[in-house]
Parts: sequence; C-alpha cells; structure tokens
Amino acid sequence: MKFIIQRDQLIAGVQDVMKAISSRTVIPILTGLKIEAKQHGITLTGSDSDISIESYIPAEENEIVNVEQIEEGSIVLQAKYFPDIVRKLPEKTVEIESDDNLKVTIRSGKAEFNLNGQDAEEYPLLPKIQTEDSFEMPIDLLKSMIKQTVFAVSTMETRPILTGVNIKLEDNKLTFIATDSHRLASREVPISNANTEFRNIVVPGKSLNELNKILDDAEEQVEISVTNNQILFRTRHLNFLSRLLDGNYPETSRLIPDQSKTKIQVKTKELLNTIDRASLLAKEERNNVVKLATQGNNQIEITSNSPEIGNVEEEMSIQSIDGEDLKISFSSKYMIDALKAIEYDEVTIDFTGAMRPFIIRPLNDTSIQQLILPVRTY
Amino acid sequence: MIKANAKKSRVIFHIDMNCFYASVEMAYNPKLKGKPLAIAGNPEERKGIIVTSSYEARSKGVKTTMNIWQAKKLCPELIVMRPNFDRYREASREIFKILSEITPYVQPVSIDEGYMDVTSSNMDGTPIELAINLQQRILNELDIPCSIGIAPNKFLAKMASDMKKPLGITVLRKRELSKTLWPLKVEEMYGVGEKTAEKLNTIDIYTIGDLAKKDPYQLKQLLGINGERLKNRANGIDTRPVDPDAIYEFKSIGSSQTMPEDTTDLIVIQRLLKQLAENVERRMKRKDAAGKSIQIMIRYHDRNTITRSKKLQSFIEEKEDIYRLADELFQKHWSGEPVRLLGISVQDVEEKRNIGQQLDLFTYEKVASKENLYSTIETLTEKYGKNPFKKWSPGDKKDDIQPRTSFQKDFLDDYKR
Repeated sequence: MKFIIQRDQLIAGVQDVMKAISSRTVIPILTGLKIEAKQHGITLTGSDSDISIESYIPAEENEIVNVEQIEEGSIVLQAKYFPDIVRKLPEKTVEIESDDNLKVTIRSGKAEFNLNGQDAEEYPLLPKIQTEDSFEMPIDLLKSMIKQTVFAVSTMETRPILTGVNIKLEDNKLTFIATDSHRLASREVPISNANTEFRNIVVPGKSLNELNKILDDAEEQVEISVTNNQILFRTRHLNFLSRLLDGNYPETSRLIPDQSKTKIQVKTKELLNTIDRASLLAKEERNNVVKLATQGNNQIEITSNSPEIGNVEEEMSIQSIDGEDLKISFSSKYMIDALKAIEYDEVTIDFTGAMRPFIIRPLNDTSIQQLILPVRTY
Repeated sequence: MIKANAKKSRVIFHIDMNCFYASVEMAYNPKLKGKPLAIAGNPEERKGIIVTSSYEARSKGVKTTMNIWQAKKLCPELIVMRPNFDRYREASREIFKILSEITPYVQPVSIDEGYMDVTSSNMDGTPIELAINLQQRILNELDIPCSIGIAPNKFLAKMASDMKKPLGITVLRKRELSKTLWPLKVEEMYGVGEKTAEKLNTIDIYTIGDLAKKDPYQLKQLLGINGERLKNRANGIDTRPVDPDAIYEFKSIGSSQTMPEDTTDLIVIQRLLKQLAENVERRMKRKDAAGKSIQIMIRYHDRNTITRSKKLQSFIEEKEDIYRLADELFQKHWSGEPVRLLGISVQDVEEKRNIGQQLDLFTYEKVASKENLYSTIETLTEKYGKNPFKKWSPGDKKDDIQPRTSFQKDFLDDYKR
C-alpha cells in the first residue's frame, strides 16, 4: 500500500475516527486505526465495537486532488501514536507506505517515521447495513434534535435503556425522546421521503454525542438506516455505525399530563438568567433546589435557600399567568438544561400542581417538549 | 449551635476510659476483677482479634489486634469474652450523662473518650479537684476507671490523659512542655502514625521536641499542611473548640468487615457486600439521610488497601441501590487478588429534610395522590415550626436499628435526652 495525501484532509479524517477508538477494548486490534487505500480514495476506520466510524477521503473531489500515487492495500496502525505524528509532520503532504512485513513508513519533508503495523485482515468487518430501508434528513436538523434531547439521558446504569435516546419514525414524523426519569426531553420533526417506519429503537446517548461532534454542518444531508441492532448514519464522507440498546423503551406519553392548572408565558433568556442566579446558592448535594411562586399581576418569585450559606429572592415580570396560584420546587440544573435546549425567545410552562411534572414548550409550538419532575420539599 | 469560647485561656479535659470493654465486663461480673480478661471478636474465626484487654492481661504481653491464639500462648489463663456492645453503649451513655451535668460543652469522640471544656463551669475548687471528683463519681457510680488529662487545649489534654493509666489525672502546662511532652518519641504523639513517624525520622525528627523546633518549611515539604499542624501541636498550639455538635455532623455513613478468611470467591464477596449495604441502609435510616456518592474499600491479603468512589446523579438510600453500585465499583476495580476486608460507605450525605425528594416520572403519581395530605402538613408546619408528624415505618423498632459495631457513635445521638 502506498499513497501521498494532503495532510489537512488526513488530520480531519483521523480526528473523526479517533472518536470511536478506545484504549480499553476487549478486542486488542480495535486499539488500532485501519487505513485502506483504493484507487478512488482512502478509507479510515475506528471502532470500539459499540460505535464504528469510517471516514472517506476521495482521491479527487471537485477537481481538487486529495490523494495521489495510490497503490492499493490496507494496514492497521497504533492509534496511540499515529494521530500525533500526522498532526506534527512538517509539510503539507504526507506519504504513507507499507511493505509485506507490515512495516509502515510515514514521510513528510525530511521527517520519516517507521512504525510497526498490524494485518488489516485481522480487523473485524463492520456489519453491512441494507440502505434500502432508509430516510434522509438535513444534517443541521439532526444535530439540533440531538442537542435538544441527548442531555436528558440517564448516566446511571440502574435502567440501562434510559441511557439511550428513543427514536421513532411513524406517520412521516421522526421523534427523539430522552429521559433519566427526573426530566424528559422530546423533539418531533416531519420527514417526507421516508420509505421505512420503526418505533422501539434506542441509540446510546454516547453515540449521539459523538455523532453530533463529528457531523459537519458543511455537508447537507444525512441518510439514516436502521436494522434490529444497528443504526447507520451516512454522509458523503462518513459512515457512523452504532449499536442499539437492547430492551423496551418505556411508554412515556401516558405519563405526561395533558391538562394544566397553571400556565405561564415567559421570556426564555430572562427566566434562564434568574434561575441561574438563584442556583448560585442552591447546593448540588440538595438537588439544586430553587422555588418558583406565582405572585399575581404577572409576577413570579424565584427563591433559593441554603441555611448555612444564605438565601436569594428575585421577582420577575413575565408575559402572562393563567390559572391557579402555585408554589413549586425543582432542580435548577434541570430547568437550565431545558431552557438552554429550547432555541426560542419565549416559552410557555404548563403546571398541574406541585407534585406533578411541568412542561416547557416554545410559544405556539408543540414539536419541542421539555418536561421536569419537581422536588418535594419537607 | 453552641461552641465553647476558643480565644482566651481555656481548661480542657480529655476523659479516657481505661480498658473500657474489659472494665464494663468487670463491673457486670466482679468475679472477673484482677484476672486477665480479653474481649475479642468472633472467638471461632480469624477475625477473632483482641479488641481490648485488662491490665492483668496486658502485663503478660497481650495486645490489642493480636489474634486469640497468639494471646493464649502468651497468657494461657486468659479469659476471652465476646463483646457485648449493648452493655458498652449503655455504660457510655451513662458516662456522658455525668459529664454533661458539669458542662454543656461535652464532645464525645468515641464510645470511651470525650472532651469537655470546663473553662467557664461553676467549679467549687480547682480544675484538678473537679477532675478528682469526676473520676471518683464515675468509679463509684459505674465502677469504671478513667484517666483524665487537663490542659489548655484538646491536643494537650489528649496527650495528658494518656500519660497515667489507670485512674490517672495529669496536667499538661504549656510552659512545662520542654520537660513533659518534648522528650517523648514522636510516634507517641497523637496524630502521628507509623508512616508519618517513618517520614519524620528521615529528616532527623525522633522526639516531639525535635518536631517542635523543626523548620516549618521543611515540614510542609514533607507532610504538606499536616506538617505545619503537627509542629503547632508539638508546641502546644491547638485552637480547635470543644464542639458538642460534632457528633451530629456526618458526611459519610459506612460499614466494613473482615472476611473469615481471605477469598477470591465472588459469591462470598457479594454476600458480604449485600450485608454491608444492609448495614449502611440501616444507619442511614436512623439518621433519616440519603447520600450522593458511594465509596468502596478493598483490603487485600497483603494489607494493601484501595478505596474507589463514584459520584451519583441522584440520592440513594435503599440497600438495593447501595449494593448494586458497590458491586459495580468492586467488579470494576478488583484486581482479582484475595480479599481480606471490604467496606462500603455512602458519602455526601444529607438529612432528607434538607434535600427534598426529587420526584420520578414513573412513580410520581403515588406521591401526587397524597398531595392534599402533604399540603396540610406543610400548612401545619408553617404554623407550628417543625413538622409535627413523623412517618411511622414498620422497621422502626428499637432492636432493628441498634448500631452493631463498636466505633459507631449513633447511640450517642440522644445521651442528653
């Protein structure tokens, strides 16, 4: 195998696949990075068996040559050293060559590295996913769906299924739901061109976080295909394959109150700042509790109290209050996460009592729901 | 919160019961008096190590932490008894009751020792006379000997009570330290363990006097902040107040136990972890507390000990959660070597009334259905101050929630009542 490649392209590709490579893995060869050279381009692969990422660098794209003098072949290199080497090479191009004894030479300008490679034949084959049952969507929309939900997944292994995001595609609607059982985030978007449907698939939150990091806004569409244990996200330069979580995602829709007793409308940023200030005195060991109380005259009061530190009170004018008076305590952290995830100027919050979940939505929009369970104080 | 005045010249007592468990047993059964007596864990098992012994046994070379057969070899007529923690707790409670009649500034440190700040107590006579009366009273009423150290601060009082046993009363004055304290070997200083002593020896500190005179910078380099603290103590400086509330403050609640024999058997290990989780749950229930991080301790056959902990997203209090998380940590960090001792502790502990209960999406209906009840309680609480109701739980019987080990201080929570 041999090729000469633009160093910037190689760095970007290596960075992407490194997201999937872990130094602690059951299959030793997965600590390595696979390079495969074909006449049409170079494919880099990294995997930790939960997530696998392939990054493709075409030999020529938009009449710009990325890779030259390609002699086909493949090799696996130690991921511990290769990325740093590539990043620190002196010239704009890099020549990579491997011989029959799995010795790899990396040249750039006057620098030359000789590394021991591993046989690419031993690298596990990634499962091939049928791409017929797939649908496409804009990358920026997928990224925003991930950002609006994934923060709410559980980090506890108590209920492993809750460490993932539940993804549904039904009636031309794509829905993401995440909950750690203390709050729930959901987002729904219409999908027009889908020729497939699925409901109970759960993608690990970690996979979606990594995907969000490496998806390039510059590219336009992502194609998504699902089998019963894998999901593939595919763009022109990237294949991102993730394992799905086993098990049934709990039905959450019936747990979400559909009527409300108190409804407030408020400017997102103002509420966020007020809660953020009050949270300064809310201790993490105490669920970060802040209190919200309606005051009439379109005023609410946000307070927090830690006996050994002090207390804070802030009154806030809001757009409107409808319904019963209310006093409720909740985690400021969950509230801040939720308000940050809603990228709209104004929100409505529907309360149904101090012991029941409340729901935050953008004004006049039900496609985003952020639900939070209150804290019962004594 | 009451705290004793830490500024002006103080008079601090450190009261230390002599061979406490053995003394209590002798008070129960006077026939044991004058005989070599040892209290040991489980006499049938290896964890049957000597917890304490009478002076008669000590004179034959019997020492705490020896195992039973070693001790029997040194002293064949040794009488070995299992510990009766209920008796010790009862005796301890009585002792602290006597102390708290003299001053409210009593700080229990463990089942058999505590500090008192008698600076502003109404005393007929000198502190020494007060100490003599106190010692006599505990001996007459409870038949338990103690030693008392008298000094201007806690550290010196502690060192003083250790100087004369049994039934000693020792005064340590700051101006006499060069004669009284400084000639002692540095490892005899309270707060200096074997490891620290070894380290101090490397910079030519062998006596407490050497430590008192050492360059603080060098000490700080060797021992960090503790170096400075130790030097101060060696010079008789210790500003810590006697804090009667110290026993109410808890940051962690834990339980640990030695295995009957070193083991690599996961079933045995998990059985112990379950048992420890139960202990921890019981103690958390006593304090009505929940915690937000968990730590395990593994001591291997070679005494090599590791602790590993994990911060949690939400509060835990149930034994199932404690066990599951402890087991998770164990599986992740166990080297596979034979295990001698295991411990679990829940940390970042708070009283439940301070934290509130984060409701759960899947179970909130249960709580919400009692909303009317709760809001009534809240109204009454606002009216009367503290919540006038206490939740009745079926496990709330006395035997169920009694502490099980010697060094737990839970039982002291209510010695004033």
